[in-house]
Amino acid sequence: MTYGTTVPHPAPFPGPQQRHTSRNGPAGDLPRLLPVHGAVPVDLHTHLSRHEAPPYFGHSGRLIPVLKAAGLTGRGGAAFPVHRKLRAVAEARTQPVVIGNGAEGEPASDKDKSLLWISPHLVLDGLQLAAEAVGSQAVALYVHRNARLQERLRAAIAERAAARIDVAPVEIIDAPPRFLAGEESALANRISGQPAMPRFKPPRVFERGVVGRPTLVHNVETLAHIALIARYGPAWFRAAGTPEEPGSMLCTLHQTDGRRDVVETELGTPLRDLLRLDGTQAVLSGGYHGAWVPAADAARMTLSNEHLQAVGAFVGAGVLVGLPADRCGIAETARVARYLALESAGQCGPCFNGLPRIAAALDEVASPRPDPRAITDMIRWAGLVEGRGACHHPDGTTRFVRSALHVFRDEIANHAAGRCVDPGREPFLPLPADRALDAADWN
Amino acid sequence: MRTTLAGSICPALTAAGKATMNGITQSTALWYASRATGVVSLLLLTAVVLLGVLVNRQGRLPGLPRFVVTGLHRNLSLLGVAFVAIHVLTAVLDPYVTIRIVAIVVPFSSAYKPLWLGLGAISLDVVLALILTSLARARISRRLWRSLHWLSYAAWVSALVHSLTSSTDLHSGALLYLAIACSLAVVAAVIWRMAHAGREIPREERAAATLAMMSPDRAPQTRGTPRDGASRRDPENVR
Repeated sequence: MTYGTTVPHPAPFPGPQQRHTSRNGPAGDLPRLLPVHGAVPVDLHTHLSRHEAPPYFGHSGRLIPVLKAAGLTGRGGAAFPVHRKLRAVAEARTQPVVIGNGAEGEPASDKDKSLLWISPHLVLDGLQLAAEAVGSQAVALYVHRNARLQERLRAAIAERAAARIDVAPVEIIDAPPRFLAGEESALANRISGQPAMPRFKPPRVFERGVVGRPTLVHNVETLAHIALIARYGPAWFRAAGTPEEPGSMLCTLHQTDGRRDVVETELGTPLRDLLRLDGTQAVLSGGYHGAWVPAADAARMTLSNEHLQAVGAFVGAGVLVGLPADRCGIAETARVARYLALESAGQCGPCFNGLPRIAAALDEVASPRPDPRAITDMIRWAGLVEGRGACHHPDGTTRFVRSALHVFRDEIANHAAGRCVDPGREPFLPLPADRALDAADWN
Repeated sequence: MRTTLAGSICPALTAAGKATMNGITQSTALWYASRATGVVSLLLLTAVVLLGVLVNRQGRLPGLPRFVVTGLHRNLSLLGVAFVAIHVLTAVLDPYVTIRIVAIVVPFSSAYKPLWLGLGAISLDVVLALILTSLARARISRRLWRSLHWLSYAAWVSALVHSLTSSTDLHSGALLYLAIACSLAVVAAVIWRMAHAGREIPREERAAATLAMMSPDRAPQTRGTPRDGASRRDPENVR
């Protein structure tokens, strides 16, 4: 792996790599969220000398029209307009809670961990500015139990307290190691002292979240963008990206040779500039709730929902995986589907009954000469679980599985004939280490 | 005696209603319809309560996939509302006693048997609230939907008492046994529900339990042979 410079503090996960992907000129200021020179963690002094202190507005609400003009959307995957959540929380009558969501449950994503490790002060600036914008004094950062990362964040918070640049104290709260722990209602439950399981909406967490108070939950990358837009304005933000999907975003790229990088890139960057597509049969976009796209289609697309949604995929949290031509897409998807089924919180019948059945049927399709009923069963069950959970776990899982059935249909025909492109090779898509999970894992 | 009473209130009806068939004349038709739909409503509401308990405990009916239990619960409740509507409308239209429209929904406002009709009104109000909140379930708070659903037990009890007190139909014969059977079934279901409360699989183990049931040791030698029947036979076991 190449970083811009040597890394004095080895990160406890694959680190970021800078890439300047300016399509047509004006966004020559990338990277914005990451340091200009390599993956060197940025301390408060360096941060302040590059960006100066966070520009507080002196009044709640003033930041909101600025973010609206910038057109910033949530970078946690859902791409919800940032100003709408802020507006809803700012207008609430009770004292709101503000949470920075760094719980990156997606096993194929590293960008939130990397951002927190390398540029913690941008995230913390964004958290403070968001807290000021909604008039909140209850602020926390929700991150996985990673002792080294949490230690760094505590040190960064202490540094800021000494420099008196914060308006509200920030607490760090442990996120359990589950796929769904970062779902915002699961987050609200966890911070309220309950298991980190999703709850039914409505009410949305920005109406009633942590201990029943209106709660602003933003992904840590979204907060870092807020910190920069507050300083440099909407026009600067829009200099990168496309008019419909402005700005830059962090992506976790998985190349066919197994390389795994975090890069910052403009929205609208051609996918072929991010992934080496020769020798690639398909690209997974949007992570394990996303969809497979045939490599030939991906080669014509840019990193934008405008392009990806046309084929049923989306940008999501910026996970892009190139699957090598000599791998079995069905076996890979089956392995992940099984993982996703086991990550069900066990609350909603369609999810905990349906997803394991879908996963088992996909296992069948991944085996030689599968029972021909497995595919029709799977499609029928998928229809029975979609839209019927408290969260989007069933919907995301079926989107992923359905796209595999479509994109890897030649491989399915191979299996029917008793052949497989890649029998019994090492798994390619990353998953957490297999281990028994218990109730404690949700707390 | 009844015919004469009705006839004195509404002579037009008796004039046309002379021809009788098993005592049903045009003037008594509404009265019979109201009684009959009342009995059917009680039966349907009882079935809905029983299925609701089954849905809640994730139980199933023999030979049927789990989602059918949910589907039956929902569809029978809609059918029940249709029968309750006919029951109420015919009771109001029946000229034998005057029941004001308000008394249908406002408990204890009826001049005729205020207490016993009031119980029916309470039951109707709760049933309507349950149907409306269930139709809007995706748009309202889950907690509101759940707490209203607890009232269904009260609605059922109030409907049963209303049935037993508003008419004497259920006081003897086959209909008495039917009322007893309904009561016993609901009591048994409630006891079963309470007994099962502590016995369900913990949430965090449910998906793993289903997965284990679906893939009984996919050892290589079993590949290509027909799957173990248990998992294949109920492919629709999705609630």
